[in-house]
Amino acid sequence: MTFKGGVHPADSKKLSSHCAIKPVPVPKQLSIMLSQHIGAICTPLVNKKDAVTAGQLIANADAFVSAPLHSPVNGIVKDIALCSHPVLGRAQAIIIESSAENQPKQPYPARFDSTFDIAPFSAEQIFNAVRNAGIVGMGGAGFPTSVKIKANPQAPIKDIIINACECEPYITCDYRMMIEWTYQILAGAALIGKTLNCGNIYIGIECNKPDAIEIFEKAIKAAPFAVGMKIAPLHTKYPQGGERQLIKAVLNKNVPTGGVPPMIGVLVSNVATAAAIAEAVAMNSPLTHRAVTVSGHGIKNPGNFYAPIGMAVGELIELAGGLKDNAVKVILGGPMMGFAVADLSTPLTKTSGAVTVFTENDIVKRKETACIRCGRCIAGCPININPTKIAHAVKNNMLDIAQQYYLSACIECGCCTYICPADIELTGYIKTGKILVARQKKLMPK
Amino acid sequence: MAQILTVSPSPHINKHHSTQSIMLDVVIGLVPAAIASFVFFRMKAVVVLASCIISCMVFEVICNCIRKKQNTLGDLSAVVTGIILAFSLPPTIPFWACIIGSGFAIVIGKMVFGGLGANIFNPAMAGRCFLTACFGGMMVSWTVPATLDNNMPKVGASSVAPAAITQATPLGLIKEALKNKSAPQDEKIAAIRGIFKNMLIGSTAGCLGETSTIALLIGGIYLIIRKTIDWIIPVAVLGSAFICAFIACELDPHHYVAPWLHLASGGLLICAFFIATDPVTAPLTKKGMWIFGAGVGALTMLIRLVGEYPEGIMFAVLLMNSVSPLIDRFTKLTPAGGKPNV
Repeated sequence: MTFKGGVHPADSKKLSSHCAIKPVPVPKQLSIMLSQHIGAICTPLVNKKDAVTAGQLIANADAFVSAPLHSPVNGIVKDIALCSHPVLGRAQAIIIESSAENQPKQPYPARFDSTFDIAPFSAEQIFNAVRNAGIVGMGGAGFPTSVKIKANPQAPIKDIIINACECEPYITCDYRMMIEWTYQILAGAALIGKTLNCGNIYIGIECNKPDAIEIFEKAIKAAPFAVGMKIAPLHTKYPQGGERQLIKAVLNKNVPTGGVPPMIGVLVSNVATAAAIAEAVAMNSPLTHRAVTVSGHGIKNPGNFYAPIGMAVGELIELAGGLKDNAVKVILGGPMMGFAVADLSTPLTKTSGAVTVFTENDIVKRKETACIRCGRCIAGCPININPTKIAHAVKNNMLDIAQQYYLSACIECGCCTYICPADIELTGYIKTGKILVARQKKLMPK
Repeated sequence: MAQILTVSPSPHINKHHSTQSIMLDVVIGLVPAAIASFVFFRMKAVVVLASCIISCMVFEVICNCIRKKQNTLGDLSAVVTGIILAFSLPPTIPFWACIIGSGFAIVIGKMVFGGLGANIFNPAMAGRCFLTACFGGMMVSWTVPATLDNNMPKVGASSVAPAAITQATPLGLIKEALKNKSAPQDEKIAAIRGIFKNMLIGSTAGCLGETSTIALLIGGIYLIIRKTIDWIIPVAVLGSAFICAFIACELDPHHYVAPWLHLASGGLLICAFFIATDPVTAPLTKKGMWIFGAGVGALTMLIRLVGEYPEGIMFAVLLMNSVSPLIDRFTKLTPAGGKPNV
């Protein structure tokens, strides 16, 4: 079973899929963005020149939909200042200068094996650990995980899907986690199941990762806590890892437009998030590091790294051998939904799963030509809307028509732009349209 | 690290195809029919094809100059229009009429609406319609293919020079054959069988590109395999035409021919694969494509069976073109998750 639409870009994962996740040397300076996720922006709890220790809480927000921030290293708060943000342009960040005695943080997978026991942890303990660790959806959306795993008696969760698709080309960090941190991911999944009292756990994996499927199958058989988890092998198709598409493919259910998966009793969590949950609950360790893929034809030695959040993209690139001479584009994230950065001092956030570097040959030199109404964007649209109609309405400043054609339903996956033979930036127009509508409704400042 | 970085909205990769590559595929799909036309109509086919293609391109360049727009010859849409227009003209048509038809197709059919993508009507059909209105006589004078066997009935064979021997098109012949009430039934059937055999390979009178059923099928299947066109429109056109013809044939077999004869003749195939599938003038949605295709097929059969014209493709396509924006509106897509509660 699969969802309707979607596209088949070359997955280009061979560049880095053989590279194990390596911890990186501690960078001299980290910039922890105060806005890393959906929800309330954090307020700093430290002042300039304060000393901080690794794992110390440095920013928090009272709002329910939010996640606290922790320092990844021992060091001194150098400043709280504007810094370039991958999505927001410039935003406030806590800048920490790390002290010399820091050792690189090692990932924890060795602590998890088939004998891991979830019994000692109560649902409340798990929820508190996740909330206090500042875990957010690490697949890219950045929705605070504590909100998702808070049991709601009105809408109980009946199915949990662990998103192990990694459908974006080039990115391999989730894949590496799946084969290196298998038990940790399964432990995280089991812990989510326990907080929500839900035993229906699916692991959705694209069929282009047969070894990961095999490893998971073996691990599920071996680990008592994972008994009953089901592997859902899925078509290799972009955006298979999109929440709505994944739910459609695994459970054949549609998430209502404008709604969220809990409305139909489903929770989706990325493998990295599951691993972070296991770490937070079992090790009491906050989310300060994550696996990041550095790949693309513009990078000398592609690889997968375990990097502290707040590390500058440029430093990570240096660790991967640096940029090739013909590199022209650095993307934070994958090529389909990632954000091109102009400034290599942009720091990693909790949602940055990859740095993709493109050369002159990879980038698209778009010169928009006339739409020939071929309908390929419609055929490729995973949520069945009419991208060309919406894009042209936005272009001609007819926002009411754009809304009539369900502008707001767009998930911004980029399939329409990818497939458009006339090289029209359909996704770009639709994103612009959403911003214009928000301004019109005064939901967003000008 | 002094590289200047490019910044643009996502996605940062795209599929390697373009309007040009799509149009090139259509041209390739039309090649078998072009070869068939060269075989059957020899120099006449060369003259008509060349004059249509060249004049379409020249008119496109002139229009772009007047509009002070960038040259759009590269997208090959003018070439496609030229070929389809030529394919829908009889081989005997003089080159100057081809030029007039091409001019109307490109200037009025396409450019006045704003160029490729903005036109309402299929440019080639608009051009042909203009020629039918202006030079009705020329448009129904059919030459006998160079390879035609001598048993086929010829019209006016004795009175004119061999170069201009004409013959009615298969559909015309069949209409005549069926009207002839005195002839015995099996003789009629034998005649029709002979006509059908010639239609398959294309050795029959008709417009340049419509005669060879096999060549058109090869080209059409190529386009469907390449996913250049959606299979829905061809299936809908042929399906609805078949059903209409089948019903008519069942009701009155003495008056109407078998449905497969209709499918193989009079340009229904070129229409189904190359004309009705013109993306610009067909609906965008799948449901819309079904309605559009079914409409083209049904209108064609209505014109053929009830109307005075033996062929009805051109009018059927133009009529359906005019309602395709409406069809799009009525087949508006609903998001996978249902309508939002706003």
